[in-house]
Amino acid sequence: MARIGVFICHCGHNIAATVNVEKVVEFAKTLPDVVIADHNLYSCSEEGLGSIRKSIEKNKLDRIVVAACTPRTHEPLFRKTCEMAGVNKYLFEFVNIREHCSWIHTKEPDPATEKAKKLIAMGVAKAGLLEPQKETESSVIPTAVVIGGGLTGLTAAASLVAQGIDTHLVETSGRLGGILGDIEIIGPEFSRSKELLDQLVSELKGSSHAKIHLDTKVTAVSGFIGNFEVTIESKGKSEKVPAGAIILATGAKEFVPTGEYGYGSIPGVITQLEFERRLAKGDHPKRVAFIQCVGSRQPGREYCSRVCCNASLKNALRIVEAEPSSRVSIIHRDIMSYGTASERLYREASDKGVVFLRYGLERPANVTRKQKGLVVEVYDETIDENIDIDADLVVLATPMVSREDARDVGKLLKVPLDKYGFFLEAHVKLRPVEFATDGVFICGSARWPSSVSECIGQGLAAAAKASIPIRRGKVVVEAITCWADTDKCAACGSCVIACPYEAIEIVEDEDRRYAKVNEAQCKGCGTCVASCPNDAMQQRGFTSRQLSSMIDALIKNAMEET
Amino acid sequence: MAEFNPTILAFCCNWCSYAGADLAGVGRLQMPPNIHVIRVMCSASVKPEYVLKAISGGVDGVLVLGCHIGDCHYMTGNHRTAKRMPLVQKVLKEVGIDERRLRLDWVSASEGEKFQKVVTEFVGEIKNLGPNPMRGVKW
Amino acid sequence: MVNDLGKKLARLAFEERGADFLLVMREEHGNVAPAMVSKGEDVGVVRLEVPYQLVTILENIYPWISKGKIAVITRRCDEKALAELAKRKYVDDKRIIKIGLACTEEQIERCRCEDPVPSHVDVGEPHAGVKGDELSARLAKMSQKDRLAFWVDQYKKCNKCFGCTLTCPVCFCDDDCVLEERTFVAEPSIPPGLSFHMVRSYHMIDKCIECGECERACPAEIPLLTMRKLLAKDMKEVFKFAPGDEKTVSPLNTTLEGELMEDECNER
Repeated sequence: MARIGVFICHCGHNIAATVNVEKVVEFAKTLPDVVIADHNLYSCSEEGLGSIRKSIEKNKLDRIVVAACTPRTHEPLFRKTCEMAGVNKYLFEFVNIREHCSWIHTKEPDPATEKAKKLIAMGVAKAGLLEPQKETESSVIPTAVVIGGGLTGLTAAASLVAQGIDTHLVETSGRLGGILGDIEIIGPEFSRSKELLDQLVSELKGSSHAKIHLDTKVTAVSGFIGNFEVTIESKGKSEKVPAGAIILATGAKEFVPTGEYGYGSIPGVITQLEFERRLAKGDHPKRVAFIQCVGSRQPGREYCSRVCCNASLKNALRIVEAEPSSRVSIIHRDIMSYGTASERLYREASDKGVVFLRYGLERPANVTRKQKGLVVEVYDETIDENIDIDADLVVLATPMVSREDARDVGKLLKVPLDKYGFFLEAHVKLRPVEFATDGVFICGSARWPSSVSECIGQGLAAAAKASIPIRRGKVVVEAITCWADTDKCAACGSCVIACPYEAIEIVEDEDRRYAKVNEAQCKGCGTCVASCPNDAMQQRGFTSRQLSSMIDALIKNAMEET
Repeated sequence: MAEFNPTILAFCCNWCSYAGADLAGVGRLQMPPNIHVIRVMCSASVKPEYVLKAISGGVDGVLVLGCHIGDCHYMTGNHRTAKRMPLVQKVLKEVGIDERRLRLDWVSASEGEKFQKVVTEFVGEIKNLGPNPMRGVKW
Repeated sequence: MVNDLGKKLARLAFEERGADFLLVMREEHGNVAPAMVSKGEDVGVVRLEVPYQLVTILENIYPWISKGKIAVITRRCDEKALAELAKRKYVDDKRIIKIGLACTEEQIERCRCEDPVPSHVDVGEPHAGVKGDELSARLAKMSQKDRLAFWVDQYKKCNKCFGCTLTCPVCFCDDDCVLEERTFVAEPSIPPGLSFHMVRSYHMIDKCIECGECERACPAEIPLLTMRKLLAKDMKEVFKFAPGDEKTVSPLNTTLEGELMEDECNER
């Protein structure tokens, strides 16, 4: 007989505003094997965790159910709490009544409360059948692979080698530096990008721990945290690199307009990066008009690319500082110069005569070529008037967009992307620069458009996180692997074929044949379980009896209504 | 007569559809309160027996959600799901239970809106189909 | 006592084809039952007009026959069942000698069999198969509600004798059948609920070779063969697959591109 404790979280207002926590607690008390049901304002707080620990000890609980947010955030925290109270961490079950209940049924508190009750009944049913598990340890290969040799990748790699960790930096093109290679001066301090990049490259080249691979692509990735195998290919030759952690820093690219504002048909209409290259060559035009938000903050690409306003401000200032009589205008739909340094640039630009005009999405500007040069007709919203701007160059500030190979890279590493093709990290606040897949990290503009300082910060963060398993030397493999009940197994071979990792084989023992799972190879997907006709194949933490009991609990608690 | 309030079971895979459901929650995307999620590591671990047991027991609808084909965390896990579920639907159909009571769909970790859409659509469809005819059948 | 048929089969199996054992149906004390005859042993009065799946017997005793070749009387369905067993390595088909038996017209009618002629006919006159099952046609015209009512009525007669699973040549879980447990079949009662029959249907969907043994064995006369045939038709429509060929792979074992799942692993 299990002794189950159920702890229901208010999560402040997040759950309690919709779900009647008191009623749910009362209901939980009636469930089979439940010894105590209680509630906390914030279960994940010191106080909440402490009260759970005390309750476990006082009530001699041996199965714990917490009904709160999503297990994808705090499961490790609660599992640890159980361990500290002397209960095996796999005797813990998390019921999601926030993301899957209170937050999505805010206008239906009664049905939400009933649903929470059923979800908890299901969780309690499963908890009653949980078994303690022992985790196995796996050693970690003390090598990191950084994919992408731009600023972010260089920063991450330099940080790793500074810690003494062998690092492979893989770059598809023939040079390091990425987009920054095209940008001579970077804001807000107007430093030279070359100095920043040279510094990083020399740190790498000067270290015996770094190996740089140019003109190289990643063609395959297999394994799991601590034990990856990254196959890289260069000029027809391939190499298998064993690694403990992988950092993805593939960056993004500039959106090239498809004819907006005359791009491609009217000479003199160029993108920001094209402008950066001209400025680097010393080409300073006298009259420049910047048009912001070209292809961003509009239907189909709703996001703000965060770096383009600052880039235009920086370049505008470069022009007026080089030639005070220059005529520079920035035609915008909000200037996103966040923070103290960038805001100062905005003021400075305005003080130095840069003209700012606001336009609206419904009435974009129009660029035409006249005898005297380019003319930008813009309806300025602020003064409610049509203005004509004369320019030698029209610079289109376009957003950063994901690279074409982003989805392929995502498939190789089995990591998700959002609808814009940027990589999706595990959790913005609780697990930044990490993927849900352990041991793979994301930083830089591949994650979303980032400024130079943000790229550096993220690269360092990813390197710091990647170094943790490598320094520890071992990782714990979650005990959710599969096994075959040798008495039941009929050796039909369905599981052997179904397993995506070839982790199962039929073995012979005296006169019996049965399936055997190689635990080191098993990734805990459970595919074998569903292919087994007589339920011999089981997955720890997801056994067929456990999941069936959840279905029984749902049926029991649902059929009593309606 | 009270409006029929379906009881629906959903299996969501940890890496994609469960995360997508979480994202829908984070975005406060509202949807009908009829679905109850069981978390699994991969949609390929959803035993057809669970679906048949649930429907035999009176559950009005079962939703199996996995990663998009090609994006499964376990390589071709979802291929197996894609092969199994249509056959489960045929088993239901032949015995006289509407095969639309089982739905297989793909929701990625970033598709909170798709999760909302699938859930809302499915609940609507089950409402139209009416209560599971196996409810209250005495054996 | 030996009959002519017995003599013929004994000569065919032991002398011409080199078998060490022969699995037949023979009459003893007025009853007809399966028998395993060793080379040199009296083959007895062989009776083949009694329909029975000898491959089911073969499957059960094979683990105890470690050496020697076994000749077995195989109808077309037996042949297909053997193919399914060989695929799963339950029998080594190099040790099995098939003696092809063509079914009589009456037998074909009774099984509503569409594919009654074995690849090689040693005994009996081959006849054409029949198309369609009268009950299937009637069910197809019924409304969904009526169809469910029909099957619930039928399945309510079930008394969990497990005759269907025990006589089925491709049912290999034997003593460990999942239908005996409470995990998926919630009702401990007799009759078991619908999940018992639906789970069996799903398990059979890529294995059933439509021999009809289940229906013949059922004491409650539930039209099990009809349900098997309906799902076989669905399997053909959805995945263009029919069990019974050693060379083909169940769609449940291939990826969406038809690749055998074993081959797609690149982790090693």
